[in-house]
Amino acid sequence: MENQIPVIGRSQPRFDAKAKVSGTERYAADYYPPGMLWGAVKYSDHAHARLKKVDTSGAKEVPGVVAVLTCEDVAGANRVGIPPRPDQPVLADEKVRHRGDPVALVLAESKEALAAALDLISIDYEVLPAVFDSQEALMPGAPLVHSENENNILHKGKILKGSAKEALKECAAVVEATFRLPRQEHAYLETEAGVAWVEEDGTLVMIVSTQTPHRDRMEVAHALGLPPGRVRIMAPYLGGGFGGKDGISVQCFLGLGALHSGGRPVKIWNSREDSFLSSTKRHPATVTIKLGCGADGALQALCCRLFLDTGAYASLGGPVLTLALEHAGGVYRIPHVDIEGYCVYTNNPVSGAFRGFGATQALAALEQAVDMLAVKAGLDPLVFRLKNALRRGEESACGPLRTYSTGIASCLKTIMDHPLWLEVRSWEKDAPPFKRRGVGVAAVLQGVGYGPVVPDYANAKIELLEDGRIRVYSGVTDMGQGNASTYLQIAGDILSQRFGDMEAVQPDTARTLPSGSSSASRTTFTYGNALIKAAGLLRERILQRASLMLMGAAYTELALLPGRVRHIPSGRDLPLGLIASMLDSSEKVCVYSYVAPVARDIAGIDENFRNMGYPHLIFSYGAHLARIEIDEITGEVTVKSYLACTDAGRVLNPQAYEQQVHGGIVQSLGYTLFEDFQVQKGEILTTGLATYILPTAVDVPDLLSIAVQEEEENGPYGMKGLGEVCANATFPAVANAAARAAGRRIFEGPLTAERILEVLAEEHKGE
Amino acid sequence: MKKEFILPKTLEELWEARAVHPRGALLAGGTDLLVRIRAGRADSQALISLDRIPDLRGISTGDGEIFIGPATTHQQLLDDYSVQKHLPLLRQSVEVLGSPQVRHMGTLGGNICTASPAGDTLPALYVLGARLDLRSPQGCRTVPIKEFIEGPGKTVLRKDEILSGIRVPMPDPGFRAGYHKVGQRKAMAIAVVSMACQVWINDHGTVGRIRLGWGSVGPTVKTLPEVEKFLEGRPLSLEVLREAGQMVSKGVTPIDDVRAGAAYRRLVAGRILLRLLDLLRKEVF
Repeated sequence: MENQIPVIGRSQPRFDAKAKVSGTERYAADYYPPGMLWGAVKYSDHAHARLKKVDTSGAKEVPGVVAVLTCEDVAGANRVGIPPRPDQPVLADEKVRHRGDPVALVLAESKEALAAALDLISIDYEVLPAVFDSQEALMPGAPLVHSENENNILHKGKILKGSAKEALKECAAVVEATFRLPRQEHAYLETEAGVAWVEEDGTLVMIVSTQTPHRDRMEVAHALGLPPGRVRIMAPYLGGGFGGKDGISVQCFLGLGALHSGGRPVKIWNSREDSFLSSTKRHPATVTIKLGCGADGALQALCCRLFLDTGAYASLGGPVLTLALEHAGGVYRIPHVDIEGYCVYTNNPVSGAFRGFGATQALAALEQAVDMLAVKAGLDPLVFRLKNALRRGEESACGPLRTYSTGIASCLKTIMDHPLWLEVRSWEKDAPPFKRRGVGVAAVLQGVGYGPVVPDYANAKIELLEDGRIRVYSGVTDMGQGNASTYLQIAGDILSQRFGDMEAVQPDTARTLPSGSSSASRTTFTYGNALIKAAGLLRERILQRASLMLMGAAYTELALLPGRVRHIPSGRDLPLGLIASMLDSSEKVCVYSYVAPVARDIAGIDENFRNMGYPHLIFSYGAHLARIEIDEITGEVTVKSYLACTDAGRVLNPQAYEQQVHGGIVQSLGYTLFEDFQVQKGEILTTGLATYILPTAVDVPDLLSIAVQEEEENGPYGMKGLGEVCANATFPAVANAAARAAGRRIFEGPLTAERILEVLAEEHKGE
Repeated sequence: MKKEFILPKTLEELWEARAVHPRGALLAGGTDLLVRIRAGRADSQALISLDRIPDLRGISTGDGEIFIGPATTHQQLLDDYSVQKHLPLLRQSVEVLGSPQVRHMGTLGGNICTASPAGDTLPALYVLGARLDLRSPQGCRTVPIKEFIEGPGKTVLRKDEILSGIRVPMPDPGFRAGYHKVGQRKAMAIAVVSMACQVWINDHGTVGRIRLGWGSVGPTVKTLPEVEKFLEGRPLSLEVLREAGQMVSKGVTPIDDVRAGAAYRRLVAGRILLRLLDLLRKEVF
């Protein structure tokens, strides 16, 4: 692999695979600087309480304890988060608002001293009435999570088109249902981790597991009272992120610790239990849908009410709600929509970004309602979807005109022609004794990028090194999705260099350029577009200087080859190192700034709603099919076969593409069948991986992935974002299959054996 | 904090170590103990390992029984021919215990002494009528497993005793065996309900003798002699098993916890008897 020029569109092992598999790649959790101290956090004992006194004196006396810090030691704003609600304290001051609220930070020589000190911190609380349900939190008189606010609404939004309520009355068939979607834990392999120290010049430096190094820099500086230029953040490869590291986790603790450690480095590496307690989750959602179609099967009207439990702090709850609403109309043309949603504070764990970003919950509900309506209208669920699916040039249910690639119809047709669908009726009938079989489909989409207001830019930087090698400065975290490898693939393609001739620098605010977050299905789309241009500039410079060195050879006579430029008529080679020596230092580095296009038909949209990301311009699409078997004796579900058809534009590396699709499906199979982050009165019941059930290899069938490669004209090499759209269809596809198999639908996730057996038992009662 | 780790090589050295560290924890495979220590639920000042004492390991056959050393790992049970041949029920229960990693570390003795209501080998050992050797420096007594386990995490093991051997009578030939486990997923699962069954079918197709044990539906493994009596003399037909299943659902005493509700466990404990229909098609030992 290292000896080949990467080819766009051909499978190749990832550039990062070897170091990761052999254990030499260093993640943030792998750094142990000499002389370091361990840091850990004392969390709240209550879900909602006023802090009367935090007594750290006992903890400070523990041998080996270097510092016990509280909010009084935070010199800056002591708040993190994004505008307009940066409302999350680094260390709790006036109140604690959920069980995962940090109250004190301890630094110690050993983990044992740390544990002893954490136990000795004595906190005097005045326990306050708390609220744990998003709809109860909206009631008048509900306890206020943030007393300075008028109510518990973090964000609300509406999408109105036509007159949905009237149109529903005219429909030939209407269904109505309320769906409850569970809270999901990211459960990345690498819990939140990092090290930090203060340089001699006063610069705070940290190596930390984060999807957002450049934004973190601003947040850390603001919260801790440092000039942003005095904060440097490095983000090596992440051991998983999925949105859970989109923003501050341990960064401010690391920074605060390093500022109070007597000059020693500080390391924090959350235990799984602390990670579960303190990290953000996928928003639990309650979605009520009324959906109607005409006698011809054309969707006419959608009414949707959506409630998200955002927990104690804003995090990214506002944008998550916005995207939930934007995706609530799915992949369809629907002339009349009335969609309204609330993102509500509670004293539960904080909800935030999670792969799919609200679209997952909205689509899990809508796509089940679509199946229910197909049954009611007597239509085949796939034919029904295809009939209503958006085509390019049409107006979507709740977004602007689809002016760019819109491949959902191709995805649905691919399923329609696939043996897994064609032979499904006979397969269902052949169920073995005490088993029931069902097949389900779902069609989904995901907006690419940040939306119309927050500038969605990337600054690519590429350098010709003195030894003739190429270095790409990646501004966007690689959390495992493989974007860094794709960047080298792109640079190698443009500069005709082999993987072995290139290297990638992972995000570092001192070396790489701000390029936004690793999120929002934008990572390769945005940075890739910038990199194509930057690499093109470097190519031009190399050829230009080679031409000079060959006394004016025409560009048409020159070929850029691995490690050299060849003058074709003479056969003479100029090594790239030699060319580098002829470039001024200002020429060796090429940068290019790319800004993604945004929707222009935004007239009449509420400004706040626009700021939060509505609407998107470019979408990726997918249609999934799941064949499942239910065990009538126990209610257990086995997914027997699975097919994912995806329109994420052209495929750059089929192997990496397939890995993304598989990862999205498996993560969502967990969401669908097992994963239920249980919280009772603010107290987490599933405190670790023994009770929070993730899928294992034997819970996952062979997964088939077919890429419907419709070119996206804005995308690098015609691609669009893939990482989220592949995670949205699994819940509804499996739920639809389960409803078919069981003969009844379960309206609350996950679809555990217990819930399935309950509906099977209802059936017997009716007999 | 100084921690001791002791590796006795004989029983005598083990008794000495225990005398020196009366609060020391016995470490077999560690798959339960280390988890409890990490959670602060077990004393870890001294760990006394049972790993290097040859008397506590291995499997031998004789006197109509199979003797299993308590420090024998689950994987060693799976690899052993006599277990495969004579104790297919125990083997099946070990096949679905934990993960390959847990099966290579964890031991049969550990699974017994942890005395979890969900312990996978326990229903099988109850059904097989296993007896346990409890040894102290003063001597040895042998008790049936039913009397050994008193409740979740509670056994009759005295402070000076260790579990030194598991004696499983060799079942009469001509039986069929099945361990049926319901977990929250298909591997690395803790049983929400489990059932072990060993049955001898008569020539005319009715149940000659049947032994059943359920896990995770009570503080200890549940045996229901009235259900066994009901089934004996009857064919394993759908109707019979449904009726027996209702007796089971009434007889078990499950609780609600984070993994599943009591109602579900109760229901499944009865319904899982229907798996015995499959048993008739299975191998006879």
